[in-house]
Amino acid sequence: MKLITAVIKPFKLDDVKSALESFGVHGITVTEASGYGRQKGHTEVYRGAEYTVDLVPKVRLEVLVDDADSDDVIEVITKSAATGRIGDGKVWCVPVDTVVRVRTGERGVDAL
Amino acid sequence: MTVPTSALPSDYAARRRELLAEGRVAGSVGGPGTSMRRRGLAALTDSWLRQVFADAVAATGVAPGKAALVAVGGYGRGELAPGSDLDLVLLHADRDAVDALAEKIWYPVWDTGVHLDHAVRTFEEARRLASHDLAVLLGLLDARPVAGDPALVGRLRTAVLGDWRASARRRLPELRASWDERGERHGDLRHDLEPELKEGRGGLRDVVSLRAVAASWVADRPHRDVDDAVRRLADVRDALHLVTGRSGNKLLLQEQDHVAEELGLPGADALLREVGASASAVTHAAEVTWRRALQATRPQRSRFVRGRRPVLRLLGPGLAEHDGEAVLTAQADPRSDPLLVLRMAARAARAGLPLSASSVDRLAADTPPLPEPWPENARHLFVELLGSGPPLVPVWEALDQAGLLDRLLPEWSLVRHLPQRNAVHRYAVDRHLLECAVRAAPLVRDVHRPDLLLVAALLHDIGKGSPGDHSEAGEPLAVGAATRMGFDADDVAMLALVVRHHLLLVDSATKRDLDDPSTVTTVADLLGATEVLELMSALTSADARATGPAAWSEWKAGLVDDLVRRTALRLHGAPPSPPPPLTPTESQLVAAGRLAIVAEPDEAITWTVTVVAPDSTGLFGIIAGVLALHRLSVRSAQVRTEGGVALDVWTVVPDRDHEPRSEALRNDIARALDGELDVTQRLSARDAGRRQPAVVPPPPRVEVVESASDTATVVEVRAGDRPGLLYRLGRALALMGVNIRGARVVTLGAEAVDVFYLQDSVGRPLSDPAAREAVRLLTDAAG
Repeated sequence: MKLITAVIKPFKLDDVKSALESFGVHGITVTEASGYGRQKGHTEVYRGAEYTVDLVPKVRLEVLVDDADSDDVIEVITKSAATGRIGDGKVWCVPVDTVVRVRTGERGVDAL
Repeated sequence: MTVPTSALPSDYAARRRELLAEGRVAGSVGGPGTSMRRRGLAALTDSWLRQVFADAVAATGVAPGKAALVAVGGYGRGELAPGSDLDLVLLHADRDAVDALAEKIWYPVWDTGVHLDHAVRTFEEARRLASHDLAVLLGLLDARPVAGDPALVGRLRTAVLGDWRASARRRLPELRASWDERGERHGDLRHDLEPELKEGRGGLRDVVSLRAVAASWVADRPHRDVDDAVRRLADVRDALHLVTGRSGNKLLLQEQDHVAEELGLPGADALLREVGASASAVTHAAEVTWRRALQATRPQRSRFVRGRRPVLRLLGPGLAEHDGEAVLTAQADPRSDPLLVLRMAARAARAGLPLSASSVDRLAADTPPLPEPWPENARHLFVELLGSGPPLVPVWEALDQAGLLDRLLPEWSLVRHLPQRNAVHRYAVDRHLLECAVRAAPLVRDVHRPDLLLVAALLHDIGKGSPGDHSEAGEPLAVGAATRMGFDADDVAMLALVVRHHLLLVDSATKRDLDDPSTVTTVADLLGATEVLELMSALTSADARATGPAAWSEWKAGLVDDLVRRTALRLHGAPPSPPPPLTPTESQLVAAGRLAIVAEPDEAITWTVTVVAPDSTGLFGIIAGVLALHRLSVRSAQVRTEGGVALDVWTVVPDRDHEPRSEALRNDIARALDGELDVTQRLSARDAGRRQPAVVPPPPRVEVVESASDTATVVEVRAGDRPGLLYRLGRALALMGVNIRGARVVTLGAEAVDVFYLQDSVGRPLSDPAAREAVRLLTDAAG
C-alpha cells in the first residue's frame, strides 16, 4: 500500500476530488495548509504599503491506495491539479506498512 | 378513566401502555390533548401508588400519621411525561419500621420497569437537605402528597418554603450561578440544531428555577406567553419520549421528523421554530425575572435618596438609567414620539443596559408606527443600535418579544428561529444575522459607509426563509427594507449588490484561480468600486466569524485578503464630487467677505447653517466648537475657500428646545476668533459628564488618501462621533499651522467619516513628514 500526498492550489480541490472519484478512489483527507516552494512567496503593493506574502495558502490532500494503483492515482492528481503556472504544487508517494479500519478491525488492502 | 384496583405492577404497566397508546392520537403541539395525557398519566400513577402504599402499610404495621409518600418535581406538579422518572420521597417519622415499608413500596415500582428516583427521609432530614442542596429544594417546592399523611407533607412544604424565603437573598445568587452554568453546558434552545429540551437555555429546567424565584417572593415572574411556551416545550418532550421510547431529552436530528409528525407539524424545521419560539419566551421571562430579583436583593445603598425618589441618570430625551436598566422617564411620551423605540434601543445598547420590561410594554402599547420612508434620524438611531456590539443582542430580543420588531422590520419574521441545516452554522438564521452585525461593529472603521455595512450584515441572509437561492431571494427583501428605512436610491443599489453577492469573495477566493486575471476582472466588474469592495470584504469576515468556528480560519482569511488586494488594484475609488456652485446668496456673502451666518431649517429635523468668514488658520475648528457649544450635532459639512474667504455649509441636528439662532452663533464665533470665548474649556467641562460606551469602540483610523488631489494633502478620519469631535480635529491641525482648504464631513449612525484637504501656510500640499505628523495629531484628537 502507498500513501499519496499532494499539495495543490486550493481552487483545484474540486477538480481533483471529482477526478479521483471517477477513478474509483473512495476516501481522501483534506487539510488547509500554507507554505512556499520554489515560488518563495511574492511582494505586493496595496494602498501604498508593501505586503510580503511569504506563505501561500494551499490544500494538502492525502490518499491511501493499493500498490498497483499508485502510479495511476499520481497521474490523475497531477493532471487534474495542473494549471501550468508557478505554484501548482507537488505530489509524493511513500510506502505504508499497515492500515486498519477502526470500526471493523480489517487490515491491509481490505481496510482501504 | 377507570382506577386500577390491583397493586400488581403488571396491571399498572398495562394501563400505562394503554393510556400512552390512546394519547398518540391526542397530538397537536400546545393543544389540550397532550397536557391531558400528562395529567392522566400522573393520576393513574397516583392511584396505583396509593394502593401500593396502603398494602405496604398494612403489611408492615406502620402507624397512620407516621409516613407519607410524596411526589416531587414535575410529578409533584401533577404532570408526568411518558419517559420521565418517578420522583418520590418516602417521608417518615418512624425509623424502626421504615426500611421494611420502603422495600414494600420501591420493589413494585422497580418491577414495572419505570425509572424511579427515590429517597427516604424524616421531616428534619428533608428540611436540612433542602437548606443547602438546591436540587432537593427545587424538588420540594413542588411537593405533593400521594399517599399517607398529608399533614406531614403540608408541614414540610411550609417549612421549606419559609426557609427559602428567609434565605433568598443569600441563596438566589447560587441559583443564578446554576442557571448560568446550565446555559453554558447544555447550549441554547433558541438556536441549537439539536436542542436539549430540559437542561438547555430556555428549556424546562429554566422554568423550574423561574418558579423558585417566584416562590421566594423576591420577584414575580411574567405569566403571559410563558405558560403556553412551557406547555409547548413539554409537548415536544413527550413526543420525543414516545417516538424514541426512551427518556433522553436531546432532540437529535434523526428523531426530528418523527417528532414533528407525532405533533402534527409539517416537518423538522417547523418543529425547531416551535422550540425556538417557546424557548425565547422562557428565556425572556427568565431574564426579566432575574433582573427584578437581583435588583430587589441588592444592598439598598443608593437606590433611594431624598424622599424616596428613584435615582435616574439621563440617557437622552425621555430616557434614563435606573437600577441597571434603561427606562422611560415620566416625561417620555411614546404616543407623540415615534422615534422613541429606536432612541431607547440605541441608547440602551450603547450604554450596555437591558431594556426595562415595563417600559418596553409601554412602548409596544403606545408607539405609533414610523412614517415610511423613515425620517433620517430614525435611520441614524437604527444604525447606532446595530453598531453597538454584543449589547445589541439582548436589546433586539426584548424588542422582538414585545412585537416591536415586526413593526420596524417585518422581514424579520421570515427568518425568526429558522434553523440552518449546515454543519458549519452554529446559529439559527435570525441569531446569525444579529451576530454578524455584532462582528461587523468592530470593522466599521474599515469602510467608508459604516451604516451600509451594518445594515448589510443584518440583512445579508434575509432571503434564507424564501425558496430559491438565498442571495438572490434576499436582494428584493433587502431593497424593500432599505427603502423603507429611507436610504437613497444609490445606497439601496449598493446594499442590493452587496446582499446579492455576499458569498462572491469567499467563493471566488477558494474556487477560482487567483493568478488567472479573469478571476480578478470578474470580481472587479461585478463590484465596480472600491467602496463596494471594502463593504464586501468587511461583511465576508463578519459573516464568517458569525457562522461558527469551522467557517473561518487564518488560511481562508489569507485567500480572501489576497483576492481583495488584487481586486483593489483594479478598482479606483469614486473621485470626490466637485463642490456645488454657489447660490446667489452665498455669492453675495462671499463677495462681502465679512463674518456672516445664516441658519435655516430644512426638512423635519435638520438645519443648514451657512458660515462665511475671512479664512484663517483654525477657523474650521472654532466654528465646529461653537456649533457643539450650541448643542448642534453635525450631520454633514462642506467647507471650501474662495479667494481668501471661507464658505462652510453645515447640516446640523439641534438638540430639543435649542433651535439654532444666527445672531447668537455669530456673536460666539466672533468672540472665539478674538479669543474672548474659551471653547476648549467650555467643551471639556461639558465632556466630563459624558457617558462612556459599554463596548470599547475600535481605534480611530486616519489615513492619507494618495493621489486624490494635486493641490492639497487629503486626509481621511474615521472615528466614533461625539460632541466636539470636529472641534478637536480642527484645533489639532490649527496648532500645527495647517490650513483646511476644504472638508467633507459625514456622520453615519454613531460613526463619523471626515475628509480634510490640507495645505501648508503658503498654500501647497503638506510635505511627507508634515503629513505624517498631521495623521498622528488627528489620531490623538479623534481617540
